[in-house]
Amino acid sequence: MKKMRVVEIAGNLMQKNDAIARRLRDRFAEQGTLVVNLLSSPGSGKTTLVERTLERLADRYAIAVLVGDQATENDARRLSRDGVEVQQITTGAECRLDAGMISAALLRWNGRRFDLLIVENVGNLICPAEYDLGEDLRAVLFSVTEGEDKPLKYPLAFNTSQVAVITKGDIAQAVGFNREAALTSIRQVNPNGRVIEVSARTGQGLDDWIGLLEERIAAKPVPVA
Amino acid sequence: MHEVSVALSLLEGVESTAREQGIDRVAAVHVRIGALSGIVRDALAFSWDVVTAETICEGSRLRVEEIPLVVYCERCEGERAPRPGSGLLCPQCETVSPHVVRGREMQLVAMEVPE
Repeated sequence: MKKMRVVEIAGNLMQKNDAIARRLRDRFAEQGTLVVNLLSSPGSGKTTLVERTLERLADRYAIAVLVGDQATENDARRLSRDGVEVQQITTGAECRLDAGMISAALLRWNGRRFDLLIVENVGNLICPAEYDLGEDLRAVLFSVTEGEDKPLKYPLAFNTSQVAVITKGDIAQAVGFNREAALTSIRQVNPNGRVIEVSARTGQGLDDWIGLLEERIAAKPVPVA
Repeated sequence: MHEVSVALSLLEGVESTAREQGIDRVAAVHVRIGALSGIVRDALAFSWDVVTAETICEGSRLRVEEIPLVVYCERCEGERAPRPGSGLLCPQCETVSPHVVRGREMQLVAMEVPE
């Protein structure tokens, strides 16, 4: 048996991502861009919420959208409309976006300034929770068709988000959604976060979501040159 | 699900330290993984074998130290380990304790190198 020596390596695996995320955050602060990172399982309604958001805000603000998916460019096509910059990031084997991918995407916009950058992460509640993208606001979506205990199964995603958005409220009754149980499990992992309940179909609760974005955009004004 | 990218980041970290110190063979790598990191141990071990093929870490062992979740409970004024599946609930006073003290780790700790 050969003798072994032990070599210490001090290294957090997130070091590289976090360093890039810090640079992104500085840059967004300089440019006065509000960055929102949307997390959820596949099919919770991220793309639909982004569509509604664009309908309400695109004529008043300069908006860019980054959409992450492992495959296809369907979401980017779905979201494209006049006056909004949309880029699809196809991640292939990777199950989440990371700060380096955001940085590379921004280069393709040649440093253009936006009031609001919406990042629609890959549908997955595990991996995206680990990756800081330099965002100001992390929102986790969770539809009434998912188990009320989802926040307990994916505590990190809910714990690191400032907002939890409960979607598809219009079918809550039909699917027997237990609202109290859902709110309790959200509070168990994130007692101070804000909860917004919406239905993209009926428009219920969208004012709360849009209001929050407007408030946060106003709090990050265009820099004076 | 992100075990392959985690394994790649580990490999990258090991290779960079190895280059600095002129190490050309690694027998084992020690890492610390927190309970909240969402990493499945077997999947990570499998990914490690795949990504280390034809590298200085080929055939090396990945030794994982699992770090259980610990939160700081403001009511008890102490560190507590929530019961699995109870979110961040203090097991003693049932207060939600969102301050995660341990359990988010994804750290490289050391490598074993043949002398």
